[in-house]
Amino acid sequence: MQDLLYFGQQLINGLTIGSTYALIAIGYTMVYGIIGMINFAHGEIYMIGAYTALITITGLATLGVTWLPVILLIALICAMIVSSSMGWAVERVAYRPVRGRHRLIPLISAIGMSIFLQNYVHLAQGSRNIGFPALIEGGFQFGSSGNFQMSISWIQIVIFVTTFVCMTALSLYISRSRIGRACRAVSQDLGMANLLGIDTNRIISATFVIGAALAAVAGLLLGMYYGSVDPLFGFIAGLKAFTAAVLGGIGSIPGAMLGGLILGIAESMTSGYLSGEYKDVVSFGLLILILLFKPTGLLGKPEVEKI
Amino acid sequence: MIKNFSKLALAAGVSAAIALPASALAEIRIGIAGPQTGPVAQYGDMQFSGARMAIERINAEGGVNGEMLEAVEVDDVCDPKQAVTVANRLVNEGVSFVVGHLCSSSTQPASDIYEDEGILMITPASTSPEITARGYELVFRTIGLDSMQGPVAANHLISLEPKRVAVIHDKQQYGEGIATSVRDTLEEADVNVVMFEGITAGDKDFSSLVTKLKQADVDYVYYGGYHPELGLILRQARQADLDATFMGPEGVGNKDINTIAGDAAEGLLVTLPPSFDEKEVNQALVKAFEEKGEDPSGPFVLTSYTAVQLIAEGIEQAGSTDPFEVAEALREGSFETPIGMVSYDEKGDMESFEFVVYEWHADGSKTAVN
Repeated sequence: MQDLLYFGQQLINGLTIGSTYALIAIGYTMVYGIIGMINFAHGEIYMIGAYTALITITGLATLGVTWLPVILLIALICAMIVSSSMGWAVERVAYRPVRGRHRLIPLISAIGMSIFLQNYVHLAQGSRNIGFPALIEGGFQFGSSGNFQMSISWIQIVIFVTTFVCMTALSLYISRSRIGRACRAVSQDLGMANLLGIDTNRIISATFVIGAALAAVAGLLLGMYYGSVDPLFGFIAGLKAFTAAVLGGIGSIPGAMLGGLILGIAESMTSGYLSGEYKDVVSFGLLILILLFKPTGLLGKPEVEKI
Repeated sequence: MIKNFSKLALAAGVSAAIALPASALAEIRIGIAGPQTGPVAQYGDMQFSGARMAIERINAEGGVNGEMLEAVEVDDVCDPKQAVTVANRLVNEGVSFVVGHLCSSSTQPASDIYEDEGILMITPASTSPEITARGYELVFRTIGLDSMQGPVAANHLISLEPKRVAVIHDKQQYGEGIATSVRDTLEEADVNVVMFEGITAGDKDFSSLVTKLKQADVDYVYYGGYHPELGLILRQARQADLDATFMGPEGVGNKDINTIAGDAAEGLLVTLPPSFDEKEVNQALVKAFEEKGEDPSGPFVLTSYTAVQLIAEGIEQAGSTDPFEVAEALREGSFETPIGMVSYDEKGDMESFEFVVYEWHADGSKTAVN
């Protein structure tokens, strides 16, 4: 019984972390789906989202705002605005000028952007870990055996629900709205979409902005869940989310969700049953296996050569 | 006129070029190497503040044998690769003495360079036994060793009669070294160590680890590493209702752990060098720090101060600025310093250094345990 509860608890831990990987992975997968490039500055955008949320929360606290939903809502909106404009700016500065050149060029300029943003936050906010207030505390326990209780905290529930809502909303937006339809057209054939009168520059900007907004949501949630932020916070998370996107099939939105959850569960089970030391070995080992046996990822479509 | 002017400029340039090395010779340059940025910059601040104060005070009293001390500060970010880079920079700057580095994993590769280049190094903070175990002539420290600190922590744990203990570390030289020493001492005393496991430094998610600790039903957890990770572990353990007492080395004992862990830091046990700033003889020095608006209470402030003072006294006793002669003088003499009487053994370790167990509080203060 206790073993079962232990497994259940590790599953909850894995699902929580996996959902946030999925939220960040969306940014990678959408940009790749549309322009076939990887936005390496995305992890930094997520980090900036977390910092903006923290600054907003601190600001509101000094102004005397105490009602939690208002604080969270304002923090979320501010983080999304700042991150989205960063996403937009990254596209304008690092991608648009070199679009259509050799594939390596935008890759390098994105890495440059990532280093720049990381160091900018280093300078502006200091390099130390900053504590993030735990706004949503408590939780409830279910099932106990011996001295082990399985528990789920409110913040974990908030993370699941938010991720689920964001994913559903995004899928609906992409499949139903005008911009969504244009996005799909651009991802199928950029040149043709352009000829048909779609403002492709606007659509590409929109993908960066949507991805960045979701990363900001993840930034706020994870900041509260973990309890601290630092300027290097986005790097590892970005790498993991990128792995999740590739695992699920880069370019596919349900794939990002699936990849994130698989990665999160694999990590928590490894730390739970083997040792925390092997966590990263397993997650990146999984990536290598997928790339060897199913290079398009779990839900990715096999690429059709365009003639 | 123009011709004259250019001649004049030339003459000025030449005389400046001659004058420069002459004025540089009248100074003893001391490199200070430690993290000014990065996750453990907090400790670097302590080191730089202590060393700067010592240089200031020695210069105010007329320097060493009439020569002034001059600091050359470099930032190693507590990163071994960066440490090698800045060590080479100090070599190029022509420095003969170094106070640093802070993190053991940085001190180790940097000390290879200093030893090869004939530079005397005193680390005010690195506690890994490895550093002085290689028969180097020019490596000293003003702090104890993990092999002294580990048993102090372990013996304290043993006195608390723990039932099940977990030992966690961050897989780095400092953290794993001290965790191993704690585990060995605990096992010798037949304490039940149920877990010995590494985590990844820089990681944020410890929920799986905390669940594992909960299932292992431990009542004490020893953590070898630095505060950013332990702070998060404490906080996530509190959220998951893990009922265990945590203990860590001096790498976790600073106020930054409170900003991360919040209330969860209450009751944390920490082994630290004794509070030198509370000693009667150091009150004048403490006042000097306070006048500058600096805090002398950090564990590495006065050890760094002492490192500079030892270099100065070594030079005075040797009557020379040759690092080898100064090292000889340090090994032979014994010195009255803010951290007590210092004398060295053959390896460059202090012959005695004390660690004390403190209990940490949610407001960042600490009280000595027994």
